[in-house]
Amino acid sequence: MTSTDTGERRRAADTRPVITDLLVASTVESIAGEAWVALVGEDEVLVPIPGDLPVDPVSAWVDVVGPWTGSVVLTTGRDTAADLTRALLGPAVPEELEDEDVADAFGEIANVVGGNVKAALPGPSALSLPDVGAAPAVRNPADVCRIDVLWRGQPVAISVQGALPALPLPHPPHENPMHENPMHENPTHENGASL
Amino acid sequence: MKILVADDSRVMRQIVIRTLRQAGYDDHEIVEAEDGADALAKVSSEKPDLVLSDWNMPNMTGIECLEAMRASGSAVPFGFVTSEGSPEMREKAANAGALFLIAKPFTADSFTEHLDGVIA
Repeated sequence: MTSTDTGERRRAADTRPVITDLLVASTVESIAGEAWVALVGEDEVLVPIPGDLPVDPVSAWVDVVGPWTGSVVLTTGRDTAADLTRALLGPAVPEELEDEDVADAFGEIANVVGGNVKAALPGPSALSLPDVGAAPAVRNPADVCRIDVLWRGQPVAISVQGALPALPLPHPPHENPMHENPMHENPTHENGASL
Repeated sequence: MKILVADDSRVMRQIVIRTLRQAGYDDHEIVEAEDGADALAKVSSEKPDLVLSDWNMPNMTGIECLEAMRASGSAVPFGFVTSEGSPEMREKAANAGALFLIAKPFTADSFTEHLDGVIA
């Protein structure tokens, strides 16, 4: 009677694992490290030291829908995202970077990190195409596996975060209008449909 | 020979093309496609000798493109370059007629390993 737990919470915990049951931070670190070396450059290391993200950061993420459902979200400063884009494009970098280039490059890093995180989780799962903008909100602080690293001295956060439960009120429903994701309307999205 | 590189990310197409060069395949004509439907159309119009394709793309996925190619009688060698390499996906790729699946992140060495013998 004195428990603050609710029946609803217990049911959720019984049926859906949280990410910390499935994944440890060191796995995310090693996945991200490999992605950086292969995509950004051979000498591009991620240093596991937390830094303060700027007030107006940018995020890139992919959604994983399966036995565990959530998002793999990379967040960094806009200048750092542009630097990552230049590093990825290498000699093909245009003189003036367009927002579209940054969204493409940063989204692709999220795609590779997310694809490998998905592979480390129990399946079968589907992976969404990458999205770029303001990060999806953390739904359940207990369902988050986050690492904070530095790349070229600049902070990058990688958060593997569950999509459940639905955001409680009074959060405005259009907090993140750029993020149009069928997953949130249909959590039982057929596996493999968007692979 | 002519290589068709299909990926909805322009940046990733650049990286794939760069990695082909680093792996020593720098003497080939490259054609780009921005999704599976574009790739399928270009298999007909460009007659590539090899297709390197992402899996997860809008309009038509890589596996749908491969299945459509094989259904139409095209036997062009086809390999995936994709951010996921689960055993299920590898099996699905092989069953559909893909020669290999290179998982991202990849290196020039993994390209050499899979492409030697495919690219003359």
